[in-house]
Amino acid sequence: MEELLFGIGISAIAGALATVSGAAEDTESDIGSQGDPNSQVQLAPQMGYIHRIFSKAISGEPPAYGLWITLGAGLAWALMAINYNPVLAIILGSAIAVFVQGVYATTAYLGRTASLAKFEQPVYIDVIKSVTTVTMAHAFVAIFTCVTMCFLMVNALGHPFPLPLMGLVWGIALGAAGSATGNPFYGKERQYQSQKFGAGVPISASGNIVRYAEAGQRSSLDNGWFTSKLGGPASGVCFGLIVFLELWRTIFFEEFAGGWGAVIAGIILILIFMIVDRYIEVWARKTYGPYTEEKTEEAA
Amino acid sequence: MTVAITASEGGMPHNKALAIGLIGAIICLYLTYVNAYLPQPLFSFFGGLAAVLALWWGTDTVKHLCSYGLGTGVPSAGMIALGSGVIAMLLGSKLSAMGFISTPLIIPIGTVIIAAILGIIIGFISDKIVNMNIPVLMVSLAELCMVGAIIIMGLTAMATGSFVFADLVSGSTTFFGIVMLDTTSSYLGGCVIAVVFMLGALGVQHAFNACLGPNESQDRTLMLAAECGFLSMITVSIISFAFVSFLSAILSFIISVIGWVYTYRKYFELSKRDAFMWLDAKPIREKEA
Amino acid sequence: MSALGGGSGGGEGMTPVGIVVGIILLIAALAAMYVISPGFAFTSLVLVIVGGLLIGFGVHFVPVGGAPAAMGQSPGIATGVTMLAAGAGLAGLFGGAWAAELGFGVALAGGAIGGGLMMAVTCLMVNVVYVWGMGVPAASGKVAKDPITGDTFEAYKSQGTEGHGLPFISYVGGVIGGCLGGLGGTLIYVELLGVYEEFLPISMGASAEAVLPIAVGIAGIIAVGMFLVNAVIAAYNITGTIEGPHDPKFKRFPRAIMGCAVASAICGLLAIIMAVM
Repeated sequence: MEELLFGIGISAIAGALATVSGAAEDTESDIGSQGDPNSQVQLAPQMGYIHRIFSKAISGEPPAYGLWITLGAGLAWALMAINYNPVLAIILGSAIAVFVQGVYATTAYLGRTASLAKFEQPVYIDVIKSVTTVTMAHAFVAIFTCVTMCFLMVNALGHPFPLPLMGLVWGIALGAAGSATGNPFYGKERQYQSQKFGAGVPISASGNIVRYAEAGQRSSLDNGWFTSKLGGPASGVCFGLIVFLELWRTIFFEEFAGGWGAVIAGIILILIFMIVDRYIEVWARKTYGPYTEEKTEEAA
Repeated sequence: MTVAITASEGGMPHNKALAIGLIGAIICLYLTYVNAYLPQPLFSFFGGLAAVLALWWGTDTVKHLCSYGLGTGVPSAGMIALGSGVIAMLLGSKLSAMGFISTPLIIPIGTVIIAAILGIIIGFISDKIVNMNIPVLMVSLAELCMVGAIIIMGLTAMATGSFVFADLVSGSTTFFGIVMLDTTSSYLGGCVIAVVFMLGALGVQHAFNACLGPNESQDRTLMLAAECGFLSMITVSIISFAFVSFLSAILSFIISVIGWVYTYRKYFELSKRDAFMWLDAKPIREKEA
Repeated sequence: MSALGGGSGGGEGMTPVGIVVGIILLIAALAAMYVISPGFAFTSLVLVIVGGLLIGFGVHFVPVGGAPAAMGQSPGIATGVTMLAAGAGLAGLFGGAWAAELGFGVALAGGAIGGGLMMAVTCLMVNVVYVWGMGVPAASGKVAKDPITGDTFEAYKSQGTEGHGLPFISYVGGVIGGCLGGLGGTLIYVELLGVYEEFLPISMGASAEAVLPIAVGIAGIIAVGMFLVNAVIAAYNITGTIEGPHDPKFKRFPRAIMGCAVASAICGLLAIIMAVM
């Protein structure tokens, strides 16, 4: 019983850490403008819209976070191997991983922007100075919480994977969850704020991203302020739920039916999520209604 | 609507980059073997230099390949390169223990050959079975698989001072002053290879992915590739404190930092050269105005 | 993944040369394995190939819209196909590896459910953002009617787009894709782990207990590596984006299965030889 309570407690902490990690990850990627929405930042100068948005073209979020988390975990592992205190080791490991992230960010902005010289997009060097540090700060939160979560899974829950491999697994999952959930909100609602709410961006409007703010010119820092209202928390909830439910179903139900209990619990959870998703979909169809007159079967 | 991948023409021919990268990296890998004759593994940093050369060459290959448009973005090239490279490297590192040739000198060249064969097969699958119809695909994936294997082997040698399988699986921990054999603290037992794997996977695609565009220029892209390599070396040199002597790790660290600072500054200069304008705290320059 | 670049699309179907050489390579790999070590290692290789097939097949189910999806211009999840599949598959691998000691069946089921659960949560949150963050209902661009629910899409598309959101069929596809990815990844991991636990103590001359961490480490990183190789081959087959099992591109899956089988056979052969010899 005590073991079970301990396991549930660790799952709860891991879930909480994952939630923070997911939220920080998405906010970081939106401030730096990483992943799919960045194609529009890249496209804008070609369409004649010069801008001052950061362009952090470091592959997509899953490989990038795969590296940052694995690096943080690997460095923490190595420091623990030479008898550093785990807390200190994780902090130092995350800090060095963030340094690597910052360097990658600056080179990505310089590279992409300099390659756009043909479209008269200048390199705004102050953008690097002001934005990089902010993305690094958010990345530190994401990396530190995720590496701590992995450390708990290895050392408190006894998962067989060593820490760096665990970092690789959850780093890629973190990037996948964060980019899937957070990208549309940044891509549509923030970059194309001038477009109507409740519709996709028409393909003809591609590249016409919002470049001016309420006062002055839009800075990438404002993107974090905006996306932390929905995109960030949603990504956090997404990754937190994944981690928490994965651990919870295993720890709580693995005792039953020789391990099959956890599998059945997982199937039930998937079905519940499926029903919720269907409810949301139907709600959207009813509430937002058909945009055009629906063709009936008889007419067709 | 997305941006087309465009790359510059001209510059150094690809075959020259291939030759310099391949031969240089293999020489560097062999130099790490000198460690076996030294009291301390002081030559470990040559493994990192092998990885830098391989990244430099791999970036040119990625550029060569991705200018055809794969439809899946540049990063997937890095993933397939390292995914196949890690298998070739692990098999290669064990060649000397298989009973054909007992000297570890077979390992670097053997790994490169295994990687080339594996890469050609994967390239054939992508080109003919999946029917991508890209003329350079087979050769490029073979090159990338070799690049992946060399990066992992090089950084492994840098972290542990050796590329021989038996050395990668033996570890020891100190418990109350007593040294105990413990495989969980070995390089492969701790799966530190996962770190090297991701460093390579991101490093090999980053330089071209970051620099692509109509004004991409080869010297700038390749300078960024070297910068990624030295940056990876810095982190691996910190990890190597867990495996090699203090002096060797410090030596690796200093060399990586010097290399990184030089290439990073150089990359800034080249970006300044290629950029349309270099502005500090200036407003958006509207074209019409 | 920044889905830059148009994508060449490639030809339709498989080339005869490709099929013939592919089958020869497959048989050659199996034969080589049988000659080197029949029995346990051989069955493991067969199951590793099955694992690779499942990954390649599973990737086709994952609804990925790439860059246009992030702007609500096309349906699907706004990220890269390889990495979303990898995220789900590796989350499954986590569950499968954890349950490995409880037996073969439980481990595989645990891996599959782990991947499926990851996709179920992700797809749900994606729909939450689409519906309440962007105010768009789900509408597929490739088919007029959802094959499962029978919803019509034409009237729900906003002007100038190819549809948006994540229709229910794509949701189901995502979950199936996650399950298959997790199942395939776990199968590769469990088989390689078995081989390494069996043969590494002999070739290294060490106790089984001492070898266990090594076996876990190597099996883990090779499973990840093989997962990525198979996922990238499948992604090359899809060329960028796919909406799910109802997408016409889905019909291309036989050639990805063929490709993944050959790739897994060769990679698996090398990975098993490493321990056996």
